[in-house]
Amino acid sequence: MAKVQVLNVAVLDNPSPFGNPFQFEITFECMEDLPEDLEWKIIYVGSAESEEYDQTLDSVLVGPVPAGRHMFVFQADAPVPSLIPESDAVGVTVVLITCTYRGQEFIRIGYYVNNEYTDAELRENPPLKPDYGQLQRNILASNPRVTRFHINWEGGSEKMEDSENVDPAPNAMLPPACPPGKALGLMPDNSMDCL
Amino acid sequence: MKLLKPSWVTHDGKPIFSVDIHPDGTKFATGGQGEDSGKVVIWNMAPVLREDDEKNENIPKMLCQMDNHLACVNCVRWSNNGLYLASGGDDKLVMVWKKAAFIGPSTVFGSSSKLANVEQWRCVTILRNHTGDVMDVAWSPHDVWLASCSVDNTIVIWNARKFPEIVTTLKGHTGLVKGLTWDPVGKYIASQADDHSLKVWRTMDWQLETNITKPFNECGGTTHVLRLSWSPDGQYVVSAHAMNNSGPTAQIIERDGWKTNMDFVGHRKAVTVVKFNPKIFKKKQRNGNAPRPSCPYCCCAVGSKDRSLSVWLTSLKRPLVVIHDLFDKSIMDITWTLNGLGVLVCSMDGTVAFLDFSQDELGDPLNEEEKNTIHQNIYGKSLAVTMETQLSTTVIENPEMLKYQQERQAAQSAIIAQATGPDNQTPKLANVVNGESLEDIRKNLLKKQVETRTADGRRRITPLCIAQLDTGDFSPALFNSVPILPGSSVSTTLIPQLSSDSNTATSLCLRAPPEPPATSPTKNTDDKESGNPSVNSAALKSNLLLTSASKIEPMKALDSRFTERSKPAPGMFSVCVRGKEASGHKDWKVKEDTSSDSEDKGTQRIPPLAKRKADMDGVEVVEKRKKGRPRKDTKIMMNVPHSYPQVRAVYLGLENELCVRACVRPCVQVGTDPVTYVEVENEVSVVAGARISQLRCCREKSEWDIVLPSRIVLTAGSSDVVAVACEDRTLSVFSASGRRLIPSIMLPAPMSALHCSAFFVMALTASATLSVWYANDPSVPHSTVNQCVLTEQGVPVVGLSSGKTYCFSPSMETWNLIVDKQDSLVQCADFRNCISSLGALGATGPLAITQGRNLSAGQLASRLSSAPHHLQQGMTLAFLENQLCSSLLLLSANEYRHWLLIYTRFLVSEGYEQRLRELCKDLLGPVHKSSSTSWEPKVLGLRKRDLLMEVLPVVGQNLRFQRLFTEYQDQLELLRLK
Repeated sequence: MAKVQVLNVAVLDNPSPFGNPFQFEITFECMEDLPEDLEWKIIYVGSAESEEYDQTLDSVLVGPVPAGRHMFVFQADAPVPSLIPESDAVGVTVVLITCTYRGQEFIRIGYYVNNEYTDAELRENPPLKPDYGQLQRNILASNPRVTRFHINWEGGSEKMEDSENVDPAPNAMLPPACPPGKALGLMPDNSMDCL
Repeated sequence: MKLLKPSWVTHDGKPIFSVDIHPDGTKFATGGQGEDSGKVVIWNMAPVLREDDEKNENIPKMLCQMDNHLACVNCVRWSNNGLYLASGGDDKLVMVWKKAAFIGPSTVFGSSSKLANVEQWRCVTILRNHTGDVMDVAWSPHDVWLASCSVDNTIVIWNARKFPEIVTTLKGHTGLVKGLTWDPVGKYIASQADDHSLKVWRTMDWQLETNITKPFNECGGTTHVLRLSWSPDGQYVVSAHAMNNSGPTAQIIERDGWKTNMDFVGHRKAVTVVKFNPKIFKKKQRNGNAPRPSCPYCCCAVGSKDRSLSVWLTSLKRPLVVIHDLFDKSIMDITWTLNGLGVLVCSMDGTVAFLDFSQDELGDPLNEEEKNTIHQNIYGKSLAVTMETQLSTTVIENPEMLKYQQERQAAQSAIIAQATGPDNQTPKLANVVNGESLEDIRKNLLKKQVETRTADGRRRITPLCIAQLDTGDFSPALFNSVPILPGSSVSTTLIPQLSSDSNTATSLCLRAPPEPPATSPTKNTDDKESGNPSVNSAALKSNLLLTSASKIEPMKALDSRFTERSKPAPGMFSVCVRGKEASGHKDWKVKEDTSSDSEDKGTQRIPPLAKRKADMDGVEVVEKRKKGRPRKDTKIMMNVPHSYPQVRAVYLGLENELCVRACVRPCVQVGTDPVTYVEVENEVSVVAGARISQLRCCREKSEWDIVLPSRIVLTAGSSDVVAVACEDRTLSVFSASGRRLIPSIMLPAPMSALHCSAFFVMALTASATLSVWYANDPSVPHSTVNQCVLTEQGVPVVGLSSGKTYCFSPSMETWNLIVDKQDSLVQCADFRNCISSLGALGATGPLAITQGRNLSAGQLASRLSSAPHHLQQGMTLAFLENQLCSSLLLLSANEYRHWLLIYTRFLVSEGYEQRLRELCKDLLGPVHKSSSTSWEPKVLGLRKRDLLMEVLPVVGQNLRFQRLFTEYQDQLELLRLK
């Protein structure tokens, strides 16, 4: 079973202007002392069309992790606007938090993100070129989508069964590149352990 | 009988493979298939039992669900103490769960269902060893071991005190092992497998006891589980799927000879599960009818693939009830409530059913005490040392005791209240860390958290630890200390919580003694056979049972062949009746051992003899003679001449010392009225070559025994004392109820005679010189004095390089042994349960200094867990009494008080009433002053009655001693008023 369980993720500074850094306060619990660090990543899905617009906002190592309950705040800079296709700047997209241990991803938390203008005028008539200064980012904090994967927690060469060791296949669970709305819709209601 | 199918107990329609009711009856666990993992769910029992509770929205039905198993859960089992839940599944893992004490309701993060987990159960250990699906798990009596069986054909015995330590792996099955059951007495474990066999394994050496194949030869096809069960009286094992005349049966296997003459028939398809009711019943006495003595009987539920359930009483030839079409698919597991009147059944179709019986239907359940009496009668030992369940039936007899108990409870609940914080109902995660509220921390977490850069320039955050896992019970470090919390994250509110948690660990140990109830080959069995009435107070109270218990109604459900009485259980052997027919001359009664157990004992004694051969020159003749003779001489009964009317002594001789040492069971009659027997057994094997001697004394109804580290060569007794001389030239004197009166006295030379009269002990040695005796002591050759201390109180203490330390007693004019580092008693004594939290303070003083850090008390204690309980008890007792006497001798008041309290706690927890009584009596002294009494009101400057006031609350902790408590409390009160 998983040695690390994510108990809660609180979305801080939400809603906030588009340029503000992302802040997630993550509470997790660890069953036994981990000899290696956990690696957390925040991935911003720039466009539903293609994975190439995914931006890894930041990755951070978390450790040492003794057995117990821990919390930390993961802060990452806002996505670089120039890497986002202009047509996808406004509207619903997804931000992902993933955690890997020994290079294996064991949890993926997805949030819907809605970017819209606060100004009614702009909302009615959005400029052709997005005005990032006026955009507000709203993360749908109440509805995280969690996918957990079985990984080999032991360092040994012992291989886990195939089904447990498969990389999160693009069509099996939320692929970073899927159209955001569709991708989240595909996920079963109880999105635990899709494998 | 009432039948209920609680529709809300469901795994969303997926199969439920296992069900088990918590020992306290308030909840039950189910295990089975989850969404895409295994699933364990803990349910509230109240809505099953009461309709009102079922309708009440405020009463939660589901308490917790855990989907940590990667694949289907095949078995869930609560430990007997109810603290842990073990689950085994297709993911090859066994998980052990424990309730998290201080975390409130929560949901699973990200799950769509908003159902909160009311209780938090978290996995404390994952046991990995099996290479295939785990099919069944079972906790041993007293939760010493956890057994798991698997489709990898093996059974693994885990050390439940030190997970994940493996005690042993039982290999021998050639097919998938699908069911396990422990003998309620703890001597065996039985397993059933697809290889058409049922195997019984001994817990003593983990070897195969018997392999039963005949009833299973015809078995074809595969049954998902084969959950067999052992009857609560221990007399029968009932198998799952067996065949008789091509019909499916549940085979009854008798403990006596593992005979397979009877079975339960009637099911049309394979039997998947058998479960005995934990209670033994006796016929309900109807009004008006004259009470007829009836035999106790057992009750058993059988579930089958044919979807029907049958319930049998061993006193009836036909089933009590058969319920067809209860489920749509095969029955998978059955569990009884602890009161024996309710039963939960689960099925592959994903539903459970609850059957509620009345006492009219099943009979009157025997209480724990009566059940123990039955065990005592059949096996010569009782399972219960001081079981809580037993105490619950005890009535508090006087207001003092009630007040005291209430105060205790109040104090305990105060501690709990403190631990769970101000808000009792929803104990939350620590709200305060380092004096800061969690909210404050969260506000500043980003600023405060430590962030560094790794060598390759990556960000690295050190997470803030906000809670320790409250699962440290398995770690010995928690035992008596507050665990070390990592640096900055020490939480002030966590400390009381954690320490209260460690309290539970302690009480757990108190409840479950560290030994498995492995059978004692010698002690109790021959107590019984010798014709002395059993001294167990429980046995006396329920004497009605004494007569009937020995013939528990055998299963004659379908086979009327009736075994009239259970034969003496293996391990018993007949011994001639002592004393009464003792003629006026010395006669040696030689008895041949008859049982396999005593055979074992016999062979165990051979190695030390062989070893001695190497040690000593010139004894070969004797050795050969011994070998040449039949092994009869390993056990010799000796009756002593009545040459003195008052005093009897046996002289085991010095010139043929070897013979005597090898022989081992002289029986001495002491005094004429009351008749007292003293019995000596040398060379009781313990562990790792450590050997001890045992002295047992029976006087009328009372009986006690003590153990000594050295062989006993001489013993004598009077109505008041019993004196024992050992091979190591120590002389020990014990009171009439076996309390050590003075520390071991070192004698300058071998003892030649020993006499006792009233309180006087006379010892005659071969040499009368007292000078430089310790240097001449052949038992410590070439040893030099390496420590010489004069204590503050002016007691000279001399330490020798042999590890022995002596002190001189001016009043007795002898050197007394106070420390012996090789003393096996020291290493084997296990009294850690009895050390109070404040205890360590008292332990400083001359005794502690001389014994030093090298005092390895309890070093071997853990290894002893396989040794019989009474042996360890005896050794601990002997050690504690030694300590008490030594501190007395060293005039160390503090240490005396310290050891006195530990000693009392030990007596109380192990139930030594007589010693306790004598101790209290001595501390109280005579109530009315008279000139003739020699009672000293003070010991080492401490007022004895003050000590008694400290001792009494300890006594009051065990309800069994409430009369003793009251008696002395009253007298103390009386004296204070004067």
